[in-house]
Amino acid sequence: MSAPRIAAGPWGWMRARLFRGPVDTAITFACLYLLWLAVPPVLDWLVLSASWVGDSRDACTDGGACWVFVRVRFAQFMYGFYPEAERWRVNLAGLLVAALVALLFLPAFRGKRAVAGVLLAVAVPGIVILLSGGVLGLRPVETRDWGGLMVTVFMALYGAILAVPVSLLLALGRQSKLPVVRALSILYVEFWRGVPIIAIIFLASNLLPLIVPAGVTVDKLARALIGLALVISAYMAEVIRGGLLAIPKGQYEAARSLGLGYWTGTRLVILPQAIRIVIPSLVNEFIALFKNTTLVLIVSLFDLLGMIQSALADPKWVGLNLEGYVFAGIVFWIVCFAMSRWSQRLERRLERRPN
Amino acid sequence: MRSMMTKLAAATLAALVAGPIAGWAQTASPGAKSATLAQVKARGHLECGVHTGIPGWSFPNDKGEWSGLDVDLCRSVAAAIFGDASKVKYTPTTVQQRWSVLSSGQVDLLSRISTLTFKRDTELGFNFVQINYFEGQTFIVRKSAGIKEPKDLDGAAVCVAAGSTEERNATDWFRERNLKINIVKFEKNDDAIAAYDSERCDTYTAGTGALAGQRRKLKNPADHVILAGTISRDPQGPVTREGDDGWDNVIRWVFNGTLIAELHGVTAANVDKMRADSRNAEVRMLLGADGNAGQILGLSKDWMFNAIKQVGNYGEQFERSVGMGSDLKLERGYNQLWTKGGLMFTPVLD
Repeated sequence: MSAPRIAAGPWGWMRARLFRGPVDTAITFACLYLLWLAVPPVLDWLVLSASWVGDSRDACTDGGACWVFVRVRFAQFMYGFYPEAERWRVNLAGLLVAALVALLFLPAFRGKRAVAGVLLAVAVPGIVILLSGGVLGLRPVETRDWGGLMVTVFMALYGAILAVPVSLLLALGRQSKLPVVRALSILYVEFWRGVPIIAIIFLASNLLPLIVPAGVTVDKLARALIGLALVISAYMAEVIRGGLLAIPKGQYEAARSLGLGYWTGTRLVILPQAIRIVIPSLVNEFIALFKNTTLVLIVSLFDLLGMIQSALADPKWVGLNLEGYVFAGIVFWIVCFAMSRWSQRLERRLERRPN
Repeated sequence: MRSMMTKLAAATLAALVAGPIAGWAQTASPGAKSATLAQVKARGHLECGVHTGIPGWSFPNDKGEWSGLDVDLCRSVAAAIFGDASKVKYTPTTVQQRWSVLSSGQVDLLSRISTLTFKRDTELGFNFVQINYFEGQTFIVRKSAGIKEPKDLDGAAVCVAAGSTEERNATDWFRERNLKINIVKFEKNDDAIAAYDSERCDTYTAGTGALAGQRRKLKNPADHVILAGTISRDPQGPVTREGDDGWDNVIRWVFNGTLIAELHGVTAANVDKMRADSRNAEVRMLLGADGNAGQILGLSKDWMFNAIKQVGNYGEQFERSVGMGSDLKLERGYNQLWTKGGLMFTPVLD
């Protein structure tokens, strides 16, 4: 019996992982071959033969992707029809969001909660005012001029802001011992969960103007947003309820025996544990929400995807669908990937903290 | 009024919760020719429903301005009302939304490749004011094939999307004439056009406007020709709510005005000179040099002068948006003036 080979260094690693036997070796080579087939042409199209400069399709002569299209339309994909002179407002709103996100990543410091609370309380109404204007000397910008990534992010963010509190109440309501509260919660969740989001958004946008009295107009974006939030809150409620169910009964009893009332006990003992359990599924819901915002297309709100599709109707750019959709895919992937990394970080941090 | 509302509700999604349909019950103020026109003037801009994006007809350009043949009609109307073609706000609509957006009063005018059909004109409670594009289903073929009209396609392989109206139309049309075609079915339009491009079929079929857009997606657009004859008819035009004749008159005569201007060679470039020098009675009337056509409609005497100066005559709009001046390179075909063999025959401005 020969001495075992020492697997060390990259060569050792490769031998252990990739070329352990004839089967492993064959699979490795097959994979390499597939990569060889797939990667070079994709890379060639995406980067090497792609055209980057110019201002019309005529500049796209290299046979690869025509990124000129995305470059020329980039501002529209980001801001939609938002007037050029007012785009700083969108940027400022984006900065506010970024500041909030950055705060989440900062290590804990004294008063972090207070800072975050104040920032949130300012930003949530502040961004809406900033973007729509009409007060404080800001030029009003109708939501029909909003578009592109800005609408996508806005819908996802405010959809979540509306949905989270509602879903918390629903999850607790469904656990409640009060029969009416429980029944209403169940009814709400089961109804909104059972109806396709597209149908809700469509009905919210097309039926409301027909039913409300003349002169009353509910903004189209707001209608779609509420429709989206109604459905998402039902989904999130079920996720949170999952967390509540996972808390051992002893925790409830312990809270009670400490003399904590229902709300205090829920806030201090039950929810922190329940939320921690459901973070992965909750982030999953956020990601789904972010991607679901593209459904507002059917009521002709131009989110990122809608903006790209309407740009493809310019005879100047007709047929560059692949470029447009690849760009949309990249942007969506970046945002969703960032969310997923953030949730992993959050989980790790919460694990380190003792119960 | 009641029965009209009921019909409307029955025919649209509103049927589900037919409530009091507000906003368009035209209680015309005495003296006003058109309640809608009065509303538009008071508001300071025209509300126009357009397509969310269809090559050549309605699309945002690189600067983020809505453009295209259907959009140009909105701009002409705005120029006629306000003397400023930019005083339009657009509501892009999907195919499902368009009727409810119009009937709920969110838009004053729907200019969105909508086909004039009996039910829409009667039951739905809309008026198709005029036809601004004679659309029809036809075929795209390779120039090298030497095919001139649809009946030359006897024995040809036709790429279609399975179950589409286009497939049915083509099958019926050739069967009626005892001609044989081989239908090659694909799941989606894009697959069918790609198969045509890779020469699996001799032709692909769709409406003329759609074909012009699809042609742009082919490897060498210039090698393909869209046949002039059509096998179906899709007269498309601007749509208003029933019940405001004065408003319909405004839209109809602005559109007619763009045709009359083309007929007499009035263009955006020469409109100033024409108003000053033309001895043609109709041109003088149109541009407000004589008569009071504008005032009769409730507009200023410069109504068509402004529209032509800012948006151009119908021919100019056509060429710029979908014709030879655009990337679509669509022939005028039926949409040529009748004097040049088309169907655009315009009433008389007197």
